[in-house]
Amino acid sequence: MNDVQSRLLTCFRAVFPKLDDGALAGLSQPAHEGWDSLASVTLVRLIEDEFQVQFDLFDLEELDSFPALETRLRQMTDGQ
Amino acid sequence: MRLIEALSILREPCPDGAPGFPVYLGCGFTPLDLKTFLHAHLQRRMKEYRVEVTTGLFGDLTGELERLEARRWAAVAVVVEWSDLDPRLGLRTSGGWRVSALDDIAATAGAQMERLYGALANLGSGVPVALMLPSLPLPPVSYTPRAQAGALEARLRAAVDQLALRAVELPGCRVVSREAVDLLSAPDSRSDPRAELAVGFPYTGGHADVIASLLAALIAPDAPRKGLITDLDDTLWLGIAGESGIDGLAWTLERRAQLHGLYQQLLRSLADAGALLAVASKNDPRVALEALRQPELYCGADVFTSIEASWGPKSESVERILKSWNIGPDAVVFVDDSPMEVAEVQAAFPAMDCRLFPKNDAAAAVRWMAGLRDAFGRASLSEEDRLRAASIRQAAGRPATGAGFLRSLEAVIEFSYRVSPDDGRPLDLINKTNQFNLNGRRIQQSEWRGWMDDPNGVVMVASYRDRFGPLGRILVLVGRRNGQCVDIAYWVLSCRAFSRDIEYACLRQLFERTGAEQFRFAYAGTPRNGPLGDFLNSRLGVSPTAGAVLSRERFFELCPELFHRIETVS
Repeated sequence: MNDVQSRLLTCFRAVFPKLDDGALAGLSQPAHEGWDSLASVTLVRLIEDEFQVQFDLFDLEELDSFPALETRLRQMTDGQ
Repeated sequence: MRLIEALSILREPCPDGAPGFPVYLGCGFTPLDLKTFLHAHLQRRMKEYRVEVTTGLFGDLTGELERLEARRWAAVAVVVEWSDLDPRLGLRTSGGWRVSALDDIAATAGAQMERLYGALANLGSGVPVALMLPSLPLPPVSYTPRAQAGALEARLRAAVDQLALRAVELPGCRVVSREAVDLLSAPDSRSDPRAELAVGFPYTGGHADVIASLLAALIAPDAPRKGLITDLDDTLWLGIAGESGIDGLAWTLERRAQLHGLYQQLLRSLADAGALLAVASKNDPRVALEALRQPELYCGADVFTSIEASWGPKSESVERILKSWNIGPDAVVFVDDSPMEVAEVQAAFPAMDCRLFPKNDAAAAVRWMAGLRDAFGRASLSEEDRLRAASIRQAAGRPATGAGFLRSLEAVIEFSYRVSPDDGRPLDLINKTNQFNLNGRRIQQSEWRGWMDDPNGVVMVASYRDRFGPLGRILVLVGRRNGQCVDIAYWVLSCRAFSRDIEYACLRQLFERTGAEQFRFAYAGTPRNGPLGDFLNSRLGVSPTAGAVLSRERFFELCPELFHRIETVS
């Protein structure tokens, strides 16, 4: 597991404490009932704080899975 | 606190059987991080409770407060923003910033604040309320440049100040200090327009954390310290009394010793508010007393309950003072200008709050004094606060206890069964008394009201006075009649009222009033309630366990002769 995944996992653990790391690494909003709009915003704000980045909060619907967030993070950090 | 830390606090399990502490958070916007931070700050302050934070519908703060059923909540936190007063003052509406609209915005906001005050007034008597008034910068509504206060801004701020002024006088309502917010949160880092526009949350994480921490501090405040022990030379005044003589001591601006004058002024104010003050000084006792008797001092000999001046270790002086106060070291602040003395006392009393007086740094000293004020801060002052120090000063000159002494006191105990639910003193007694406390359980206002509404409930508050003066209300007992038994759920007696047989008088009064054949005590041992356990065990022969029973027969067999005159208020 690379550094981005590891830090991302820390954020996911904080929002979904009942899931194990294996489940979190493949988690997506449609597949998990507990991932509601409130969890989305909380998760994104945690990730922003952890990685010191800012997402477009109007795009929350697209940031709907662990892989999607990881991909977006890589795009943002590569551009820095 | 960071958001991830707040979430981590909320994941920690509460103790088994922890009572719930339901809090309503009222705000007109999506609460998001604010709710998380408030929950975490409250949970951290109230580890023995299971805190729950609930929010209402967004967009109609005042309406939600008007509909709120106060009795359901242990506390209510209200966060008002400009957009709650008029939506045109938020970023999520548009089309309302025309110059011709400004008067109307001010008028609408004023009317909304009036409505809000009405809702707070209705709530305030039923549940503790913590109120946060607008903290965001106003949007650029008015035509004036930022450097110039326009009429709209002036009217809005005056109306908010007026609301604050009226709210602080409501029973049960506490308002977050604007100065505290300004100290902790820079104005230009409070607003998060990106989040406000996209998800309806107007605060940065940092500002949400500050607001939540301040609200939590009002809902579950730290227990104020009860006593302060101060050094004299180079602390209460500038100079060494034993070397320079009394004329060489200074505490005024003219003599470049104003910090010491300010410190004296602060101590005097703390004493006025009920703090116990004592002196621990390495000095010749005669010199110290003579210096303390100078009439020009702002805080002289008459303010201190005891003056310990000797050449022995300060920790020994401190020990004698604690004994005379009958309070624990964790309720006391020790102040000295010598790092060595601070360290010596700290080593002897690890739980004591020992502070070094910063005599050579004006900025640090002023901050230090603000911190000292915080340590003794009280939400409000009661008559008992004023009486506390006076009664201890008088006690210092009394003989030891004994039947002859107790008879000579000419004591009067007033047992009152007519208790107002808005009276904060009985709740304070239950929630702050540690030593003579049946179980250490703290009580919320909603539960307190429940006891008063219970037809089988017994709520007794006792006041005490004797020839040395009044102690005010010093005892609370709460229980429920259950056939021939009274189940006693709470029983506390102020440590100032020990050794006067008031505990016996209380139980005798309860047997006589209720006609009960026995009392069952909801006793639970705590690290500090040994005095109550000892009373049950060694004085009444009742083993201090949960559900311990005392029969009428046994009580009257063991109760000593009592000399109080009893008055009752039903």
